[in-house]
Amino acid sequence: MTHMSYKFEIENLNAWFGSKHVLNNISIKIREKAVTAVIGPSGCGKTTLIRCLNRMHEIVPNARVSGKVLFNGIDIYNEDADPVQIRRKMGMVFQKPNPFPMMSIYDNVAAGLKLNGIRDKKRLDEVVERSLKMAILWDEVKDDMDKSGASLSGGQQQRLCIARALAVEPEVMLMDEPCSALDPIATAKIETLIRMLAEDYTVVIVTHNMQQAARVSDFTAFLYLGELIEYGSTKDLFENPKNELTEKYITGQFG
Amino acid sequence: MAHYTVRKIVDRSMRILAYFALIAALIPLFSILGEVILKGASSINIDFLTQPSPTVGEAGGGVANAIQGTLITVGLASLIGVPLGLVSGIFLSEYSEAKISSPIRFFNDVLSGFPSIVVGIFSYALIVRAIGFSVTAAAFALAIIMTPIVTRTTEEAMKLVPATVREAAIALGVPLWRTIVSVVLSGAKKGIATGILLALARIAGESAPVLVTMGYWRWWFAGLNQPAANLTLNIYIFAISPFENWQALAWGSALVLVMFILGINIIVRAATREKYK
Amino acid sequence: MSRLIDLGLEQLASMIFRMGELAYKTVSLSLESYIEGTNAYAQVQDLSEVLVVMADETEDKAFELIARFQPVASDLRILKSYMKIAYDFERYGRYALDVSQVQNRLGGLEQCERWIHESVREMSEKVLNMVRTSVDSLKSHDVILAKSLSETEKQVDDMYFKYLDKLVEKAPATNRCTISSVLVVRYLERIADHATYIGESIVYLATGEKIKIR
Repeated sequence: MTHMSYKFEIENLNAWFGSKHVLNNISIKIREKAVTAVIGPSGCGKTTLIRCLNRMHEIVPNARVSGKVLFNGIDIYNEDADPVQIRRKMGMVFQKPNPFPMMSIYDNVAAGLKLNGIRDKKRLDEVVERSLKMAILWDEVKDDMDKSGASLSGGQQQRLCIARALAVEPEVMLMDEPCSALDPIATAKIETLIRMLAEDYTVVIVTHNMQQAARVSDFTAFLYLGELIEYGSTKDLFENPKNELTEKYITGQFG
Repeated sequence: MAHYTVRKIVDRSMRILAYFALIAALIPLFSILGEVILKGASSINIDFLTQPSPTVGEAGGGVANAIQGTLITVGLASLIGVPLGLVSGIFLSEYSEAKISSPIRFFNDVLSGFPSIVVGIFSYALIVRAIGFSVTAAAFALAIIMTPIVTRTTEEAMKLVPATVREAAIALGVPLWRTIVSVVLSGAKKGIATGILLALARIAGESAPVLVTMGYWRWWFAGLNQPAANLTLNIYIFAISPFENWQALAWGSALVLVMFILGINIIVRAATREKYK
Repeated sequence: MSRLIDLGLEQLASMIFRMGELAYKTVSLSLESYIEGTNAYAQVQDLSEVLVVMADETEDKAFELIARFQPVASDLRILKSYMKIAYDFERYGRYALDVSQVQNRLGGLEQCERWIHESVREMSEKVLNMVRTSVDSLKSHDVILAKSLSETEKQVDDMYFKYLDKLVEKAPATNRCTISSVLVVRYLERIADHATYIGESIVYLATGEKIKIR
């Protein structure tokens, strides 16, 4: 197996909400062009972890971070680092699909570009089409691009959000329980999409559904009460976990 | 079985009560509208809309100068009140937790409850004393009345935009200021426009502060440091006058004012309607 | 905390323990009758058929649990191991039947030299013990006991090859004894191998380690 490099090298990451210590000394290396799942019971800090990767954690009042997150080798929490630039390199998809309600499907996908000053219609058309194709939504909406983003079904809305994130050509896709609000068929479509995305992007997905983590990911990290308990290839972790707590969690003996 | 019948009766009676309440609430609106239209319609003719106010004893005349004056005064007030209110409202909404926000909100609420005559006198003391009765003084007073309304409604409208929309934009790498301006404001524009409209309607109809800062003016607009004619004052002056043609003008002015307010309503509604289904 | 899958796992466990006991009984019966010269062919045949059916049922049950519960980690390892072990128990029955068939066709050790009797008896006892050990260590998931099969298997192999050497050297009076005993010790050696496979599955199930006990 050829040497795969690490997209993220997280060193001693700590995070707080006010005085509440939600992430405790997390150190982990995320492989590039692979799907890494983060699992754990509610409140274990998995959402906080990925929000630290694109510096979204700190926008909440009283939120604080310490430690290093090396992205492509450079610490994103460096004093000179610009959070806006960092976020442009990472696409984020949230638990509840959130297309911009007052914009059409076309405008939704183009939003990331338009809001950054790109006006060239031809280029926007290209990007919108390409992104919707990547998100496996193009065929379903190509004749209705002017309809409101909110007029789509839940699964379609989530794919729209994925297309919107892909349009700015990020290097990483961060997904926070993207299928929680969706029915099984929509979930299956998105899981297939995630595996396809892994060929070109580094994907980090938070999920509370262990079977989903087992299906979709190459590597899995298990968090509990803000600490990293175990991290390894999905195959090994689900067949023969090294930590007893991991074993208990994935066999459903707690949580 | 008996319980169900009782429930049905209660349900029915409540419904009827609700309809009555609705009608009762609408009666004042329609009766005023009706009265104004009836009495004022006869005054509307081309002269009415193009001639300035008549002097004592003069026949005919119109309220053209009053329309002009009202537009200029309200316009000037909006130039101050709308931006100020917008910025304050945006600040209070986006920095809701900041220590300074609570006091600002409090003072805003207090200010919006001030009697308008008091605001008028304040403007009198500040501006009329300095440059005399003027459009400037009137606009200043109206701006003070307008700002808290715009602030509050802007804040409410902005807060209605769900946090998830902001998050999505920020995660896309859109800077915060751009997010607020292009995404959140755009989502809140209907509410904000409604708020501005409410404020406009309020100040277009104010009479007391205009009275103490401008007084009655019979001629065309003559500069910002001079008074100007005003529809509400016209109604006041003409209605209590003994001249019939003046009284007719009063009704006509009332009609114009009402139509003006109605017109703004309709335009704003149309402009901010949902473009998509 | 009791989970949905626990009931199924318990049922599967009791199926496989029963199968183990039955397999031991079958092997014991078959070897005893070969050495003593008694006839137990019909019985051994019945028992071995039952073992085939039980192996199928066990496999079905394990697959049902996989389909319904998507088990992972230790649960998954148990299912994988039990399926393998069920097959090994079925093999015990198969080889026991093979021994009885040889006896049926070519006769037992009645007419054979003393040394042949002794060698086959010694080897049978050892192998029967291994079968016993494999069943017992399964019941308790006893890794140490399972690993002990390694030592015994070496001994059985040793005995097997020594017997073959002796046969070549001593060339007994009748072909019948040679052929019959050669076939039977071959089956004994295979039974011993399967006992070690069972041992390996037990180690995997308990620790996740994949080792070779040979």
